[in-house]
Amino acid sequence: MIKIKPDEIALLSKYIYGISGISIDKSKAYLLETRFSKILEEEGCSSYTDLYHKAKGDPRKRIEHKIIDAITTNETLFFRDGGPFELMRHKILPELIDARAAKSAGSPNLRIWSAAASTGQEVYSIAIIIRELLGPSKDYRLKLLGTDISDAAISQASYATYNKFEIERGLERSKLTKYFTSAGANWKINDEIRAMASFRKLNLMAPFTALGKWDIIFCRNVAIYFTLEDRKKLFNRLADVLEPDGYLVIGSTESLTGICPRFVPKRHLKSIFYQLK
Amino acid sequence: MHSLTILVVDDDPVTRNLLQKRLVKENYEIDLAENGVAAVRQLQKKRYDIVLTDLKMPGGVDGIGVLETAKEADIKTEVILITAHASVGNAIEAMKKGASDYLEKPINFDELLMRLQKVRNTKALIKNASDLREAMNVTEQTSAETIQHLELLCADFQARLERIQSILNDTALAPLERVTRALEI
Ligand SMILES: C[S@@+](CC[C@H](N)C(=O)[O-])C[C@H]1O[C@@H](n2cnc3c(N)ncnc32)[C@H](O)[C@@H]1O
Repeated sequence: MIKIKPDEIALLSKYIYGISGISIDKSKAYLLETRFSKILEEEGCSSYTDLYHKAKGDPRKRIEHKIIDAITTNETLFFRDGGPFELMRHKILPELIDARAAKSAGSPNLRIWSAAASTGQEVYSIAIIIRELLGPSKDYRLKLLGTDISDAAISQASYATYNKFEIERGLERSKLTKYFTSAGANWKINDEIRAMASFRKLNLMAPFTALGKWDIIFCRNVAIYFTLEDRKKLFNRLADVLEPDGYLVIGSTESLTGICPRFVPKRHLKSIFYQLK
Repeated sequence: MHSLTILVVDDDPVTRNLLQKRLVKENYEIDLAENGVAAVRQLQKKRYDIVLTDLKMPGGVDGIGVLETAKEADIKTEVILITAHASVGNAIEAMKKGASDYLEKPINFDELLMRLQKVRNTKALIKNASDLREAMNVTEQTSAETIQHLELLCADFQARLERIQSILNDTALAPLERVTRALEI
């Protein structure tokens, strides 16, 4: 295996930060070797410097995409942490539906964004909750969007197919039989759930105001990879695109204290969500 | 590691008993089923780590049926198929349906033991991963509780601080009054 040199660690960390905002601590430099050795081989690179130049010199960004797929941690599971989904079912969705129904005469809009959707489990967990709570009714218009910086993650999310290890995690048997169909050794989300969601690629470091405003934003377990400065900027920009009475859900071990004073934490049952001041 | 339980399904009594003898010697726990129908009945009663089944069997249920039942009963059960050379194509189809391996007849026992060892290793790895995951969940849950507690506490202090600040800046009140009220918060 080709070894990475100290100056190459600096070079690549800076490059990765530039394309993704992901900040690689010096102590995590081993990650570069374990995650990039395959790309090095596939691209026939003689060194990490070589890889860097090839990636920068590629106008179609093919190598850049590979690097992003390799450096991102796509760890996720259906109904991760439980709490946020109970929160959706018992608090956020009922409150929001009431509030929107009171405001407009027609069927209310529900706009929900999973800002680091990874391979889609979070989005489909939300979709399942909505389906169970509201049924297939036409009484609301749903926009449920999942975005992620990783092409590989987004394409799996769109494909909506999971292997048994992904399925075993977090998914109750009753939900598996109800919302999935076995496809060989894998499971595919049923069309009715799949059709509720859409996915696209998005780097959270880039502007996202064009996506419009949101009633609910899930931004879980992604800011942890960013610097404190970038976290502050990100949550500030999320505050800009959240409706005044909208809801923000972050990862269960994340905190906004000292990060974005525009959000206030609120507790419901065993979970916390955030609203604008 | 505890010994793995295997359900051996074969309509040929000679193969069945031979398999049982050899596998018990290797410290596997063996149950036998004489055809697919019996296997299905057995799979609904008891969970197995591994099902070793002939692909072609008389009666309503063949190896594929056994595979499907096993996976339905417990997706963690690994299924290894035994097949005549002529039906290797079917065995490959079965692998697409979730079988973990197949063996050609006549059974080479060294090869079988190797395959079983592979399944055993995979299972050990999976157990390791799920233990790690469990440990991580506990840690994550505990830290989540701590963080959420602190988060609410901080927000509460912040709100009080802001109230104190606004009272102290309230020029409509006499300075002493401001201090007295601020202290009450
Ligand atoms: C650990 S997963 C979180 C998935 C899910 N939200 C959850 O909590 O289970 C983190 C995801 O963030 C994505 N990510 C990392 N940097 C990003 C960026 N700059 N913009 C958008 N997504 C990013 C990664 O590709 C990865 O899929």
